[in-house]
Amino acid sequence: MASDNNVYSRKATLSLKISEFEVPPMQDLLIIGRKAPIGPEAVRRMADALSPEQFTLLKMNHPKIEAVLLRNTLLQMIDEKLLMKIILEEAERMISDSMVLRSELKIALSVQREVDLL
Amino acid sequence: MNISDIMTTTICTITSDKSVSYAAERMNESHVDSLVVMDHGEVLGMVTTRDVLSAHPNRIVADAMSSQPFYLSANHNVWEAYHALHQEQNGLALVKQEDQLIGFITKEIVEMKIAEYRDPLSGLYRAPYIQFIGENFLKERKPFHLLFIDLNDFGRINKLHGHPFGDDVIRTYSSVLSSLAEEQGDYLCRYAGDEFVLISTISDEQIQEYITLITRPTNVLDVFVSAAVGHVNGYNTPDFFARSWRELIAEASLGSSAAKLSKSLSSTVG
Repeated sequence: MASDNNVYSRKATLSLKISEFEVPPMQDLLIIGRKAPIGPEAVRRMADALSPEQFTLLKMNHPKIEAVLLRNTLLQMIDEKLLMKIILEEAERMISDSMVLRSELKIALSVQREVDLL
Repeated sequence: MNISDIMTTTICTITSDKSVSYAAERMNESHVDSLVVMDHGEVLGMVTTRDVLSAHPNRIVADAMSSQPFYLSANHNVWEAYHALHQEQNGLALVKQEDQLIGFITKEIVEMKIAEYRDPLSGLYRAPYIQFIGENFLKERKPFHLLFIDLNDFGRINKLHGHPFGDDVIRTYSSVLSSLAEEQGDYLCRYAGDEFVLISTISDEQIQEYITLITRPTNVLDVFVSAAVGHVNGYNTPDFFARSWRELIAEASLGSSAAKLSKSLSSTVG
C-alpha cells in the first residue's frame, strides 16, 4: 500500500559540450542541390557575412546541382573549368537535389626537377 | 484601354531575406497570388504562388523569386500587354508610371479583357484590335496594306436562307479568311456585320493576288459568296503617315462601297 509520506521530485540533467566554432563553417566548398533547404543566394549572403570576399558562388546548369560555393584561393591555384569538372564528376555521384554537400579540398603541388650538374 | 484601368493596385511586398514559408503565409493572409520583393525601396523581383510551391520552405525569398522583374508602363494598352506577357515566362508584369511602381498585371487579367474584344460568332477579334495594330504601325511608320472586305449581297443570303444560315456563312467565311491571314502573318478582324478588315505587309503583287482571291465568288456552304474590297496601299500613298487611322478606315470602306457600286470586285484607292 502506498504511503502518504512518499516523496515526489522532478529533475533534469544538463549535458553541455563546448567546442570551437570554425570560421567559416563551410570549409573549402559547398555544393547546393536544386531543391536544397538553403539556396545559392542565402549561401552567398552567409559566406559574405562570415568571410567577406573569400568565397565565389558559381551557378550551375546541372539537373541536380544549382550552385557551388568555392573558396577564392582555390580558383587562384587551379583553372576554374578544370576544378569544376572534377568537383561535379565526384559530387554528382552522391548528391541528391535536396542536399547540400560540404567539402574540404586541398591542392598540393608536387614537383620533381632534374638539372644538369655543372 | 490602358493597363492602368485593369491592373491590380494593391501591392503586397516582402523583403528578400524572409523565408519561403513566411511568403506563403503572407500571401494566404493577404489573399494574393504574388508579392513584390523589395529591399530598401528597390524592387528585386516578384515571388508567386508557383515559386512558393516549387521551392523548399526554408529557402529565403531571394532564392525562390523570379530574378528579373518585368515592367510595363501604365500607358501600355491591353494589346501591347497581351503581346508582351505572352513572351514573358511568369506571365506577370509590374506596372510603372514615371518610375513609380503603381501596380501589377497578370496574363490572365489581360486575357480576360482581350476576350471581351473577341467576336463570339466568328472567333475573330473585333474592330478595336485592328485599330490597335494599325495605329501601332502608323506610330512606328511601318507601311502596310489596309483591306476593307465587305461581303456582296449578304442581306440576300439572310433573306433567302434565314439568319442562322447567314451566321453559318459568316463563321465559315471568317475561318477561310483567318487561315489565309495566318498563312501570311496578317492581322484580321470582323469589323461589323459582314465586314472584315485586314492589315498586311506582303508585296504589292501578292496583295493583288490576295484581293483577286477574296473577290472571286467562293462556294461557302453551297452558296457563292464574293466580296467587295477597298484597298489603301500604304507603300505608294504619299501622305499615308500623315493620316489618322480613322481617315484610313474611312477611305478603305468608301473604296469597298465604290467597288460595289461600280460592280467592280476590287478597287484600289490612293
